Amino acid sequence: MTAFFEWLEKYLLPPMTKLSEQRHLRAIRDGIISTIPMIIVGSFFMIIAFPPVPSWAAAVKPYVGKILLPYRLTMGIMALYAAFGIGYSLAKSYKLNELSGGSLAVVAFLLTNLPVAVSKPDLGYVLPLANLGGSGMFVAIIMSIFAVEVLRFAKEKNLTIKMPEGVPECVSSSFAALIPAAIIITTVFLVRVVANFDIQQFIMNLFKPLVYAGNTLGGVLVPTILITLLWSCGIHGDSIVGTVARPIWLTLLDANTKAYASGAAVLPNIAPEPFFQWFIWIGGSGATIGLVILMVFSKSKYLKDIGRASLLPGICNINEPVIFGAPIMLNPLFMIPFILGPVVECLIAYGAMYFNIVARPCILAPWTLPAPIGAYIATGGDWKAIVLVCINFAIATIIYYPFFKAYEKNLLKDEEKNMQAETVSVSK
Amino acid sequence: MKVLMVCSGGMSSTIVVKAIRVEAEKQGFPIDIKAVGTSEFEDEVKLGYDLVLVAPQIRHRLNVFKKQAEGLNVPIEVIIPMGYTPVGAPKALEQIKKYQK
Repeated sequence: MTAFFEWLEKYLLPPMTKLSEQRHLRAIRDGIISTIPMIIVGSFFMIIAFPPVPSWAAAVKPYVGKILLPYRLTMGIMALYAAFGIGYSLAKSYKLNELSGGSLAVVAFLLTNLPVAVSKPDLGYVLPLANLGGSGMFVAIIMSIFAVEVLRFAKEKNLTIKMPEGVPECVSSSFAALIPAAIIITTVFLVRVVANFDIQQFIMNLFKPLVYAGNTLGGVLVPTILITLLWSCGIHGDSIVGTVARPIWLTLLDANTKAYASGAAVLPNIAPEPFFQWFIWIGGSGATIGLVILMVFSKSKYLKDIGRASLLPGICNINEPVIFGAPIMLNPLFMIPFILGPVVECLIAYGAMYFNIVARPCILAPWTLPAPIGAYIATGGDWKAIVLVCINFAIATIIYYPFFKAYEKNLLKDEEKNMQAETVSVSK
Repeated sequence: MKVLMVCSGGMSSTIVVKAIRVEAEKQGFPIDIKAVGTSEFEDEVKLGYDLVLVAPQIRHRLNVFKKQAEGLNVPIEVIIPMGYTPVGAPKALEQIKKYQK
């Protein structure tokens, strides 16, 4: 078992952590994370528009279109916000002007869209929102990287307009972005409008297999196993796997939310991030809340102390105290249920949603909510989601139980020995 | 002594920081300790700290943090895993005290 941990440390950790620390991926991660508050608040308007109580739903029905406007202008155009965030973060990592990076990324992304002239009623030119949301996420990523790389190239090659000494810095830095802006705008214009090459469709098609795979059973199990393996070594698995997976999860989520907003009975996707958050990571990665509760009632003083200290954070899905306290990290006994539990939970939850017994997630709720509440909100108010959480919680706890008992027995032996040693030294 | 603790989102470190504060008060050790998430680190560390503690689950980012704090002359260390729990506060404080000036 120690050999296995050594193997993980040697072969799994370095490539994974290196990947997640890669400059562009890091910028994508930080940029996308900056859009999460908008997505959470925006998707909450779904609950107001489609409340779970039928009589309320009937009451708000005439206003649904208006109630959903905040959603449409937040989550509905999240790729636009992401473009700014990614451009900003990437520019920052290159120590370039962050604001220039952000706005150039937005320009590059917007130029892949074709505004439409609407004459009846006369609205002038209108920008369709459809591709500014989750479906445009990968377009935003690629275009932001393109924009900031041009900015960097221009700076390295000194392709800037020099301002005389004494011009305030904010003025000169806005001129510094002039040439990169010209390169970016002309290039995207030439490709999109003059050559009539649909950049968006091209990028979307390129990433389609990835998005599709993310929604399969395998696409659910792989991140689950990777995340728990990483946490077993005491490394933040979600943050590493999420770096690559979050754009896919958000794309899946957006398709569901869109379908939900248009009144679809069955949503297209099973595996956006809320699937993992509420039905798998109950109490944190590795579904540790059951273990924490077992620990609270442990005969071992140490486990009891850690269990008590980890209970409240655990209910809020923060489980570092139990991972590093029990510890689960590098603990061969706990590693097995820590991985096995979530895998079994995945199979159950995926099955329940595949056969449409439980509604699929379409709302992003804050991850610190207790799992049953989060699951209820995420599925747009399906009470069966709460039942599913309870079933998964029970199963994870049962899987932890024998390993917990074995570990407790070891600790009790040690504690007894220490007690005896103390009594001996006191009586001396 | 001014200590900065950094974790992924600033959530779990807040719990640990609280426990360390309580333990420090118990021992009569003057400490000014703050928790931040990864994205806030670069700006925060420039405000002047005596020590930076990195949460164990993001120890793979140690070099990134070191680079971001380059030239500030502040020691950066990964906190011992067992010290990164509310119960482990005495151990964490022991680690902090090593850098006492």
